Amino acid sequence: MTAVTAIAAFFAWAGAAAIVLADGRRGLAVGVGLVALGFTALTWADGAWLKGAFLLAGGALCAIELLRRGAQDWGLMPPGSTPRLILASVGAILALWFAASLTTGPDAPLRFACVAVLGLAAGRVLQGNAGASVLSASAALAIALASASALAPSDPGFAPYLIGGVIAGGASLLPVAEPSGA
Amino acid sequence: MEPELAIALPAAGAILTVFLKASPRLALLLGSIAGALAVAAIVVAAPGVASDQLGVMLSISAMSRALLLAAAGALGLVVAFAPSGAGRVALLTWGLAGFAGMAAIAAAPSLDIVIVLTLGIALLHAALAGRRSLAARLRAPALAVALVGAGLLFARAEGPPMLARFAAVGLAAGLVAVLGLLPYIHEFDPEEVTAASPIAWLAFLGPILGVVIVTRARDLVPTAAAAFGAVLIGLGLLNILWGSLASWLTEKGTSAWHYSFMADWGLVLCAFGIQVSDGQAAAVLILFGLLLNRLPLYLWSRRSMRESIQTDRPINLLAAAMLAGSAPFAGFAARILLLRGATQLYWPLALVIGVGLLLWLPPSLRLGRSLGAPHGRQAVGVGIALAAGAAIGLYPQPILSLAGL
Repeated sequence: MTAVTAIAAFFAWAGAAAIVLADGRRGLAVGVGLVALGFTALTWADGAWLKGAFLLAGGALCAIELLRRGAQDWGLMPPGSTPRLILASVGAILALWFAASLTTGPDAPLRFACVAVLGLAAGRVLQGNAGASVLSASAALAIALASASALAPSDPGFAPYLIGGVIAGGASLLPVAEPSGA
Repeated sequence: MEPELAIALPAAGAILTVFLKASPRLALLLGSIAGALAVAAIVVAAPGVASDQLGVMLSISAMSRALLLAAAGALGLVVAFAPSGAGRVALLTWGLAGFAGMAAIAAAPSLDIVIVLTLGIALLHAALAGRRSLAARLRAPALAVALVGAGLLFARAEGPPMLARFAAVGLAAGLVAVLGLLPYIHEFDPEEVTAASPIAWLAFLGPILGVVIVTRARDLVPTAAAAFGAVLIGLGLLNILWGSLASWLTEKGTSAWHYSFMADWGLVLCAFGIQVSDGQAAAVLILFGLLLNRLPLYLWSRRSMRESIQTDRPINLLAAAMLAGSAPFAGFAARILLLRGATQLYWPLALVIGVGLLLWLPPSLRLGRSLGAPHGRQAVGVGIALAAGAAIGLYPQPILSLAGL
């Protein structure tokens, strides 16, 4: 089980890294899909099947919508993306330090995945200008925040997972309003 | 059942008004009824008593209930006394949608749900047609959500005691980021419609979010309560100084109002940071003033600012006095309570805040003039806002009792 959760946490980080590194819709869809898959596996490993299903459904809907609409390209690591590559790597190292060294106790893979995805998705929202990349990062944020509720001392119930899944799925359906007059 | 109704009714009202856009009177009537029923549900709700009709424990605290009622009052004022030509149905639609979100935030059983809901609201707000890009509008709220989320992770992790302090910093930073205060000021376009602008976060959604995050953060990091309070006071003083000076010196009238909201929030942050009962009472009164006085006056002054009309009539001076927090308005009582609380904590802090309060006068005179010469429905609205401000200032106890203070 430990190996499975470790791999799931790595998937979540890899997904967030893809969202940071990609400008094209295919790359972003793969990123959101990996984030959803990673957190779903972490949730299922805890025996919470329904909660995981909410996250998977939200992430899958977002990824499918990204693939259905707009220009289909990967846009992975376009020229000038060295700072983003450094962000993805440093984010992983810091998250690993937080989850495995600074903090103690069980759920280290979940802590790693949450910190890594929160940091990288927030970085992408701050840095991105295109609607698709910002919405993909928001979907990843929603999934990570919902999953982080499992670290609460008491059972958070299904609500954070349901809301997180709805937001992740709904983010890709939002019309990206172009700037207009008052 | 009341918390569920407080969320569902305004949401249903917002949806109804969208579908009935073609017949504005019917839309206004049905939307207003839904809003009024939601207010009734909030009034009837017993503070702190949980309801579990949907499998989620929902309860509204006394302070949140008081602020929800103030927000409903502000929405009612703004819609009922909107200037002619303003889209009242659109105002009601977005107001009810925001109110549903605020009720959900107030009733949410945990901070986890609060921040996920905040992200959802931020996405919907960013999707509104406005002058800024989606990325520009989503940037600060998304950062805020990530910061509060990181604060939660730090607070819950087992490890060295400094984690609690990191958590306190994350939670406070997230709070100011979602509100759009210094150092995370939201990009502001003076020409943008109010519903899509950062004012919606500062003056409508902000009060309930602020109260919920601050009260829950205190429970979450009790060992770092002093650090949390200190960060809030530091950020509060920064915003008092920057907000009031910028409101005075900035060129555009709309930007001056934006900065004045920030300055008021500086006071609220200081009041929350003080953590004695007088501080909490001051925070509630300032937030009431923000919702019932400053927000409606801002909306009513937008037209005269567009037409570059400035007047020096008695009503402008009265509005300026209210905005400056002078007697007998609510801001005065709030400032007295704040100074008393600050003196109890550390008297030099009261001195600094007292000097900061002097900075309210020049920008308030400017903002009062920018109201122009209100007439008709708008004049009635200004009169009601002034009367409400004076009533709360002269006898604030009912408001404080409503907030459980």
